[in-house]
Amino acid sequence: MSFTQFVFFVFAAVAVLSAAAVITLRNPVHAVLSLVLTFFSTAALWLLAEAEFLGITLVLVYVGAVMVLFLFVVMMLDINIARMREGFARYLPFGLVVALIMGAELVLYVLSRAPDVAPPAPAAAGYSNTQALGEALYTQYLYPFEIAAAILLVSIIAAIALTLRRRPDTKYLNPAEQIRVRRAERVRLVKMKSES
Amino acid sequence: MQSTLWNDLAAALPELWMLGAVCFVLVFDLFVPAARRDLTYWLVQATLAGALVFTVAGHDGGRTLAFGGHYVVDEMAVLLKSAIYLVAGAVFLYSRPYLKDRGLFRGEYFVLGLFGVLGMMIMVSAHSFVSLYLGLELLALSQYAMVAFFRDSLPASEAAMKYFVLGALASGMLLYGMSVLYGTVGSLDIATVANALSQEEGRSAFALFGLVFVVVGIAFKFGAVPFHMWVPDVYDGAPTSVTLYIGSAPKIAAFAMLMRLLSESLGPLTGDWGQLLAVLLVLSMAVGNIIAIAQRRIKRMLAYSTISHVGFLFFGVMAGTQEGYAAAMFYAIVYAAMAAGAFGMLLLMSRQGYEPEHIDDFKGLNERHPWLAFLMLLLMFSMAGIPPTVGFYAKLAVIQAAVNVGEVWIAVYAVVLSVIGAFYYLRVVKYMYFDKPEESHPVQPGMDAQVIMGINGLAMLALGVFPGGLMALCLRAVGY
Amino acid sequence: MIPLEHYLVFGAILFALSVAGIFLNRKNLIVLLMCIELMLLAVNTNFIAFSHQLGDMAGQVFVFFILTVAAAEAAIGLAILVVLFRNRRSINVDDLDSLKG
Repeated sequence: MSFTQFVFFVFAAVAVLSAAAVITLRNPVHAVLSLVLTFFSTAALWLLAEAEFLGITLVLVYVGAVMVLFLFVVMMLDINIARMREGFARYLPFGLVVALIMGAELVLYVLSRAPDVAPPAPAAAGYSNTQALGEALYTQYLYPFEIAAAILLVSIIAAIALTLRRRPDTKYLNPAEQIRVRRAERVRLVKMKSES
Repeated sequence: MQSTLWNDLAAALPELWMLGAVCFVLVFDLFVPAARRDLTYWLVQATLAGALVFTVAGHDGGRTLAFGGHYVVDEMAVLLKSAIYLVAGAVFLYSRPYLKDRGLFRGEYFVLGLFGVLGMMIMVSAHSFVSLYLGLELLALSQYAMVAFFRDSLPASEAAMKYFVLGALASGMLLYGMSVLYGTVGSLDIATVANALSQEEGRSAFALFGLVFVVVGIAFKFGAVPFHMWVPDVYDGAPTSVTLYIGSAPKIAAFAMLMRLLSESLGPLTGDWGQLLAVLLVLSMAVGNIIAIAQRRIKRMLAYSTISHVGFLFFGVMAGTQEGYAAAMFYAIVYAAMAAGAFGMLLLMSRQGYEPEHIDDFKGLNERHPWLAFLMLLLMFSMAGIPPTVGFYAKLAVIQAAVNVGEVWIAVYAVVLSVIGAFYYLRVVKYMYFDKPEESHPVQPGMDAQVIMGINGLAMLALGVFPGGLMALCLRAVGY
Repeated sequence: MIPLEHYLVFGAILFALSVAGIFLNRKNLIVLLMCIELMLLAVNTNFIAFSHQLGDMAGQVFVFFILTVAAAEAAIGLAILVVLFRNRRSINVDDLDSLKG
């Protein structure tokens, strides 16, 4: 076993174990953290497959942003953990059977395919994965790239439309009003007779 | 390079127009006072009209690939896109008073709706797995948000969550299948995949593995049995205007996805996916038609009716011939129009604080509003497949195509279940014409809605008597 | 180097785990959302492995788009979750009984 293979197996084992933890842990915060570990280990596997840009993106975007969003929501919603896991034991046998059968079938099928393909040669020294990806994105994949932009816009609009609430009791600043304010509205000169 | 980019942009003009117009509507709406929000609505209709003009006028009759093969314009794209604009326009028109009465008449609703239409256009014109998937997600994300748009309604947010989880699961299945297909043939381009699959017989075993996942994903999105559990809940829980939206035009886009994936890219494996579709359609027709009989809530009944119609649609595609594809396309377009009419009728009958929820609410509609009752009669006849409405012709065309390839038994089965299914459509008709109204409040839909609903309902009759024109278009669209 | 099969088996295991998770955690919406992320991760691993094997950029580009969509999906999913929670004060699926499924 070469060192690369050893590294692969270590990260793959960590990823699979933490993925199993995601679906079985009782506490949602722990589940999110396990998911972070899964993403992190998988990112390492992607690096081994010479997908450097995507591996780093997975860590930056997923672990850095999406998982933090998950944590935010988990902590913001006051979740009753005990009730959450009711019935877990009831579904467990069925779930395990599904997992085992499906996993075994998928693995068998994947393995049954003739393994005659040789692993590809490592990329040349001057090869930049990021550059290659960028070139493909902005030339051949221009159209999907634009659609992805539209999808992000939709998600922004949807998230704001669904969750933004104007509460009448919330105090907030209105810069336009601040700028438009006139002296007369703020300062009142009062003439008082001197008392002496 | 410069000139090819211009050619690409010109080919995708409808999509560009739609994207630009949606962004404009989004910003424009911010500056419109709430009292004059109708301006936004009219802008939305103008956007759809403009897209229709660009789509039809910009098509030179041929088949054009653009953007490195991710985008295609052909007869099918033009026909299906035009149908989507018309149905979507009617959908927005029927929804307007309903949205106003419930405080949902906001710019974002229309923006999300238009983004959904853009997603459908992209799906219809997709020529690679990438653009197909992205179009699908653009549509799906808009729909999830629209279902949850009525934020204070508990059923709506539950429906949105169910829809979201199962929709995402379906996307995951579809993607897993696509990844296996990609690994088999080494390309995401639809034409390249079809070429590779037709040549290399030896590698097809692995492709079949991917095919199963792709079909499961499609079945989920269509709501075919046994992947149908979300359909009744989402249709029932969503605000009716959103049910109308997701129940009509997206079916046309889903049909396009079916065609692009199964017929165009996996065409060499027709025999294999035909069998999978056969199982799905046999179950869908049975479950849809039989469970619908037991439903008292009108939206759940129509949801199960959708499932049975999906069975018919699959039946046409399963035949795997040009004739079958054309019949299924005819069915998809007609179904979208029927669904728009039937769900639209629920909106036309509602008013502030009231909407028809049960079949009983249709009792005596003839006394309350004979014109709407007559149109509903046409729509129900058409859904049931009673001549001379177009529903009959659509079912006939599908069955004919299937019998021509020797699927006699399933054809007989389909006829029997349609007869069973006719029962619950006719029950609505019976309630409207022979029962006393339980509700005395007058039904007063706006004049525009009455006129368009009139066109919608009478089209069922007109297309049933003269189906030749639309059928010719469908046949041309599949290259017959 | 690592053979393609290793990656495919890894992807298959992740995929099976995520589907099992969806069955197991039918009561817990936040974990359901995480299972969906896990499923997309499995798909992405498949694509990257194939892309590496075939020496073809298309798979990696697709992964790029799937990541984008998954982030958008997570945002909308969590927004719906928040709306639901505000209406219900709970995200226990058992409480979702206003729709008879």
